[in-house]
Amino acid sequence: MKMQKYISAIIALTMGAMFLAPSPKAAEPGYIDIDLSKPEVELTASFDGAELLLFGIHNPGTDVIIVVRGPGLDTPVRRKERVAGVWVNSDEIIFKDVPTFYSTASTLPPSKILSAKILKRYEIGVENLNLEIENSTVSKDEIKLFSDGLIRNMTNVDLYGSDVSKIIKVGKQLFRTNLWFPSNVSVGDYTVTTHLVKDGNIINTKATNIVVHKVGIEAGIYNFAHDYALLYGILAVIIAVVSGWTANAAFRKG
Amino acid sequence: MQIYLPIAEVSVNIFLILGMGGGVGFLSGLFGVGGGFLMTPLLIFIGIPPAVAVATEANQIVASSVSGVLAHWKRGNVDFKMGAALLVGGVVGSTLGVWLFTLLRELGQIDLVIKLSYVIFLGIIGSLMFGESLRALLRSKNKVPPKRRQHYWIHGLPFKVRFKHSKVYISALLPIAIGMLVGILSAIMGVGGGFVMVPAMIYLLGMPTSVVVGTSLFQIIFVTANVTILQSVNNFAVDVVLAILLLIGAVIGAQFGARAGAKLGGEQLRILLALMVLGVCVKIALDLTLEPNDIYTIGQAGGH
Repeated sequence: MKMQKYISAIIALTMGAMFLAPSPKAAEPGYIDIDLSKPEVELTASFDGAELLLFGIHNPGTDVIIVVRGPGLDTPVRRKERVAGVWVNSDEIIFKDVPTFYSTASTLPPSKILSAKILKRYEIGVENLNLEIENSTVSKDEIKLFSDGLIRNMTNVDLYGSDVSKIIKVGKQLFRTNLWFPSNVSVGDYTVTTHLVKDGNIINTKATNIVVHKVGIEAGIYNFAHDYALLYGILAVIIAVVSGWTANAAFRKG
Repeated sequence: MQIYLPIAEVSVNIFLILGMGGGVGFLSGLFGVGGGFLMTPLLIFIGIPPAVAVATEANQIVASSVSGVLAHWKRGNVDFKMGAALLVGGVVGSTLGVWLFTLLRELGQIDLVIKLSYVIFLGIIGSLMFGESLRALLRSKNKVPPKRRQHYWIHGLPFKVRFKHSKVYISALLPIAIGMLVGILSAIMGVGGGFVMVPAMIYLLGMPTSVVVGTSLFQIIFVTANVTILQSVNNFAVDVVLAILLLIGAVIGAQFGARAGAKLGGEQLRILLALMVLGVCVKIALDLTLEPNDIYTIGQAGGH
């Protein structure tokens, strides 16, 4: 983790040095460019969340909003009801293509630099996520209750957050921020969208990708469990039998 | 020190898992039970997905049962014929149980069924055990010999078989039915089922207590092995890393527990165990009946 911070700092410094000389390009209105310290998050055996450094260059006098979105999945949300004194799942709504991760970062709070309408259109902030369902027989109020429940649940486990980190401006043209990925992130392709904001409008947008994937023994075990499920199960039993036998033998001597 | 579990897909503290394995192992060594009924709720409590907790615990019970049965086998306390009859039912029951588990998971009711099964079975077994131990304590003071071998309707069932080792002559349908019930419980609750099987063998089958534990452990090995394999194939829910961590802790804990158990009296132990079973039962019953923090929950996410 510390090592990663050092590397981030070195990259930031190098990038800074490269950009310190006034870049003629960045002077163009609406110019923005970004890069990441690493385009991937590796889930290793010791994975406990990861931080990526995002840095970029933008036209002076503009603001920047970054939206990170995880892969989409159809997600059922269920409501509990009391039946004979016991809380039971009763109603269910399935939302389509719900991002498994969502976070934002910005130079100024988005609501201060963009209108509610634009925030909604560009899905900036968890409350502006466009959560859709398949059948439209459910009333709007009902959908709102369920989608609020979904956002609440995702926020509680740190998978959703609005404006969780601040973008730091370095000089007139440079900016950087740390993107945080908690230990419970899903694997898949993540998109990082950077909006350039001027005078209450989004004047340019740049997107890049981050791949979150299991590596090493984690990937090996996971893939084996899915590709050779029967063999995996049998091996799990063999490991257990051998361990039990060994424990018994060790205890007899001891 | 954190470790990322490849199947559960959460990061946990290694020492917490080892400690839990050790603690539950100690209790299981002390009381001579598998400990699944304590471990599975604990795993769910620390944030392991219920499906993974149930399936992985089955895998761990294979190890502790193998370790336990070897000790009983050496003393000649395993009735293999009875074990085989229980096993026939167990394999059918656990296969049915895993199928039911998968179905309930899709319906979004698996958490409820797991919890209700815990409340019902722990409640019944805990109360029976508590009452029985109290009576036994009183009996030992009054020196009244216990009554045995009463004749129930179950002795009139067909397919009677002589189980020499257990010194009983009963219908083979009985151990098969008991094995089947325990197999279903094993798959749904992530337990070995000893806490149901042991009393059933003593009171329904009339087996001598000396062979009961060894024979039930023998059956549990195969049933939990079957559950482990079926859960791997149907639900991809067995996390070997978690299972290995748990069983390291459990194996060490069980040795200390067994030694401590030798110092305590049998009836006191049973009352303590009964209280613990009832405690877990009450805790889960409260979870079910108290208003949850959020009545909205997210289910298992599916494909696009």
